[in-house]
Amino acid sequence: MSAEKKKTNDLGLAASAQPRKKYVKLAISQCFSAKLNDVSVPVVAGSWMRNVAGLILSVAAVSAVLAVGTLAARAATTEVVSLRRLTQAEYRNSIADIFGPDIEIRGTFEPTIRMGGLQATSTGVLSITPAGFESYTKMADSIATQVTSEKYRSKLPCAPQSASAPDDACMAQVLNHYGMLLFRRPLTPDELKNGVMLGRTLAKSSNDFYAGLRYSLATLIQAPDFLFRKEEAVTVGKNQYALESYSRATRLSYLLWSTTPDNELLSAAQNGELNTAAGLDKQVTRLMASPRLEAGMRSFFNDMFELDTFDNVSKDSLFYPKWSAIIAASAKEETLRTTLDLALHSDGDMRDLMTTRKTFLNRSLAALYQIPFPFKGDWVPYEFSPDSGRSGIVTQASVVAMFSHPGRSSPTERGVALMDILLCEPTPSPPANVDFSIVNDTSGPLKTVRERLTAHATNPTCASCHNHSDPIGLTLEGFDTIGGRRTTENGKTIDLSSTLQGKHVVGAEGLSHYLHDNPKYTMCIARKLYAYADGLNSEDVEPSAVKTAYKAFSDAGFRLRALIKGMVEAPDFFNAAPPAPETPNAATKVAAK
Amino acid sequence: MKLDRRFLLRGTCQGALAVMGLPFLDCFLDGNGKALADGRPLPTRFNTFFYGLGLTKKLWIPKTGGKDYEMTTQLKPLEPFRAKINVFSELRVMLDDNPNYQHWSGAGAAATGISPSKQGEFDTKTIDQQIADVISHGTRFKSVSAAAAGDPKESYSSLGGANALPAEPSPLALYTRLFGPGFQDPTKGDWKPDPQVMIQQSVLSAVAENRKHAMQNLGAPDRARMDQYFTSVREAELEMAAELQRPEIIAKVTIPDAPPEMTCNNALPNVRKVTPIMAKLGAIALATDQTRVFNLSISEPQSQLFIPGDSLGYHQSTHEEPIDPVLGYQPRVSQYNLYTMELYATFLKELDAIPEGDGTILDHSIVFSFTDQSYAKIHAVDGLPIIIAGGANGRLKTGYHIAGDGSPISRVGLTMQKAMGVSLESWGRASMETKTPYTELLV
Repeated sequence: MSAEKKKTNDLGLAASAQPRKKYVKLAISQCFSAKLNDVSVPVVAGSWMRNVAGLILSVAAVSAVLAVGTLAARAATTEVVSLRRLTQAEYRNSIADIFGPDIEIRGTFEPTIRMGGLQATSTGVLSITPAGFESYTKMADSIATQVTSEKYRSKLPCAPQSASAPDDACMAQVLNHYGMLLFRRPLTPDELKNGVMLGRTLAKSSNDFYAGLRYSLATLIQAPDFLFRKEEAVTVGKNQYALESYSRATRLSYLLWSTTPDNELLSAAQNGELNTAAGLDKQVTRLMASPRLEAGMRSFFNDMFELDTFDNVSKDSLFYPKWSAIIAASAKEETLRTTLDLALHSDGDMRDLMTTRKTFLNRSLAALYQIPFPFKGDWVPYEFSPDSGRSGIVTQASVVAMFSHPGRSSPTERGVALMDILLCEPTPSPPANVDFSIVNDTSGPLKTVRERLTAHATNPTCASCHNHSDPIGLTLEGFDTIGGRRTTENGKTIDLSSTLQGKHVVGAEGLSHYLHDNPKYTMCIARKLYAYADGLNSEDVEPSAVKTAYKAFSDAGFRLRALIKGMVEAPDFFNAAPPAPETPNAATKVAAK
Repeated sequence: MKLDRRFLLRGTCQGALAVMGLPFLDCFLDGNGKALADGRPLPTRFNTFFYGLGLTKKLWIPKTGGKDYEMTTQLKPLEPFRAKINVFSELRVMLDDNPNYQHWSGAGAAATGISPSKQGEFDTKTIDQQIADVISHGTRFKSVSAAAAGDPKESYSSLGGANALPAEPSPLALYTRLFGPGFQDPTKGDWKPDPQVMIQQSVLSAVAENRKHAMQNLGAPDRARMDQYFTSVREAELEMAAELQRPEIIAKVTIPDAPPEMTCNNALPNVRKVTPIMAKLGAIALATDQTRVFNLSISEPQSQLFIPGDSLGYHQSTHEEPIDPVLGYQPRVSQYNLYTMELYATFLKELDAIPEGDGTILDHSIVFSFTDQSYAKIHAVDGLPIIIAGGANGRLKTGYHIAGDGSPISRVGLTMQKAMGVSLESWGRASMETKTPYTELLV
């Protein structure tokens, strides 16, 4: 058998692309057996070159003609540095981009948990439970059914010779096409072989090519290679590791667009372009110029500002009949729009997010903020007046409502939340035997929460933490637990003054200027973006890790685009630590008993 | 003796569910009504009930131990089930070198016998999963969890680490999972295996085949996670195998209609509406052998339950409500405690309402209720209240107050597992490692 190399257009591959190093090796037997050790090939980042059209069928199995770095060889010098479960948004976006936005996805997704301030971090820690997998397997079948339904068939890369019989060539072509997009790398010979075999068996038993294709495709959609994004690092020098190309494409794509790499990015990976500064810059520029950057940043800010907290916030309907799920959703959207408008559309200074009075409103929010709303349609830009008391996102309904009790505000909760979210300063847990007995209920003589919290400030054990969080929250006491304005509490005028790190501030405006000027805020954005991109715990991200990125951010007047670009194009962004030496019986918390 | 399954119950009388009590059910049992006709024992089920913030010692601990203890204020909601419950007081939670994680260490110790080393995480699989590993063969679901407060993260059933099994967050979600697509109604006469299921098994097989490749180059923690993925695939395969078997049902039960969409949040009136429905669905799932392990939570450990109009809510009250100088306890908190015991009683009621052979689903179960604190105000864990229910198919004696003797809380876990037929010599770790079950409770 000779090595045939025909070009295929379905992946948009450049016709003359050559990997830096290659072996051309073919053997029908190679593909049948798992004897990948036979071929020793130097590890080449991104040197997969698949030729779909060169498949040669045989009775027993499918063979493929390929230029390949084998798995066995990679095993010696490859390490998986991170394995991240797709979030619900990433899963949906990826399926929509691969199969089309009209594919319905109905199912429940296992929750992620917030670690170090980000849900994204837990994607690198959590596994898939049986209940979670149940849902994935059902969704995979549902998606595959739609993709092989009659009205979709014209979109497939090929048609079988007969719709009521197996057709290995077409089956392989379809699986290769979608496999590459789903797995974010070419399928291995074994994966392809197994897929074609399953497809043929089921096509045969049901006399329906598309039934076979459906189940084979479903196998790919519930495979761990789709559900988890693997970041693989390979050696690039003495004891130096860096992500291989496809992993770079994956990391970039999910960070910037919250979806799977598109054809052009996959080609760039395949051609090794992402391993060069120029090639990387070209793709990063393209991805950032696209309106799809908004989806990526929306996902990031939704996480950083903990807006998912709203999914489980209950407000007391007796005290706050205005509050509803609709207002919660609107409040969330308001904050995201304000942020994205400043960060991406106006290309503004991110510090202004703390002080801006510009926002976007819909009817429900206007009612909450007690603003007349003579507009048609929703999400109208609006600027609060200087005397409104609103100043930056910390005074938006989202922030003040999420970190509050069902029936009353909480300066401590708000202070703790803002320090954690905006300054990357989480507060330790209170001591176990904390005694609140001197804090009476609201019908006692201490009318305002400020008075009741004085105990925090005077007791030395409490003061160490509360002197950081409470003053922040106390400046926001002009807002009740659902974000409405108020000037009195239980009949007494609220005092909004506070001392933050020795500076006297009054009210929300004072707070917002304090945050605006605090270098920890902009550093926190950098640390969290980095943690989000890499699936790390932000508490483990030292400022030195984001030095290059932060300098670019700062030099550009704290424009978000400069931070993103500076971060992903930093020379060490794709670096990885060498693999840890394996100890026997390595303990893992996640291991089943 | 073969009876046409059409005689099995499926009755509605003008829209109301009617259960036709038929003596024929006994012919599926042996003469004593204690086993299946073919000699296989009736399955024993294991259930958990989690509620946050504990109880008030002064109001729940009976003064006397043994069978004749007085029914205290906070145990009163459970009085109808007095003969079927066991109450444990003054159990110890030894933290050893670990901190007392607020609203966590107690729950972790109760569910694993181990003082947790990380906030929010269990050091091993929780007890329900350990038991499920042994008893869930052949059932459709290894275990099912539900959260009455509407948050899928409020699940205290875990594979260890951060991997809690998600809870169904609404009655409709629970119903859909149990009795929606994929449910083979065992009460229907014309049961046939679904060919789709067999095809899906091939798909799962194909997925499982790629295991070796998937595990390559992974470090130890990621290997464990990938391993869990494949274990989950395997469980889905077992689930499908169960779906291919003709179900065996002994209990008198009817599959209800789907419940409506409901608001599920921390407002107590809503939790009160949601809990009985979830409890009932869980009980029917046990009765129809969809699962043998059902976990129900009514709040997170730091319970955010509130009564509309009470601006403090449950958790804040535990810290901010002063101790009444005359009563000697926090009145509002104790009222919330009582409400959680009422919800526990609701769960027991639903389990006890389904007759099965010579008893009820409750008689053929163990229900393990646990919480996070013994005294929420100061985050104390010693004396964590544990109240278990059910006779485990006659293997557990009930009706007792086991008054504290300094026993670690893990003794209860060990005892329950022995009653469930799990063979193990000890349970728990470090100071809570125990080899001595409550033999006085074991038959």
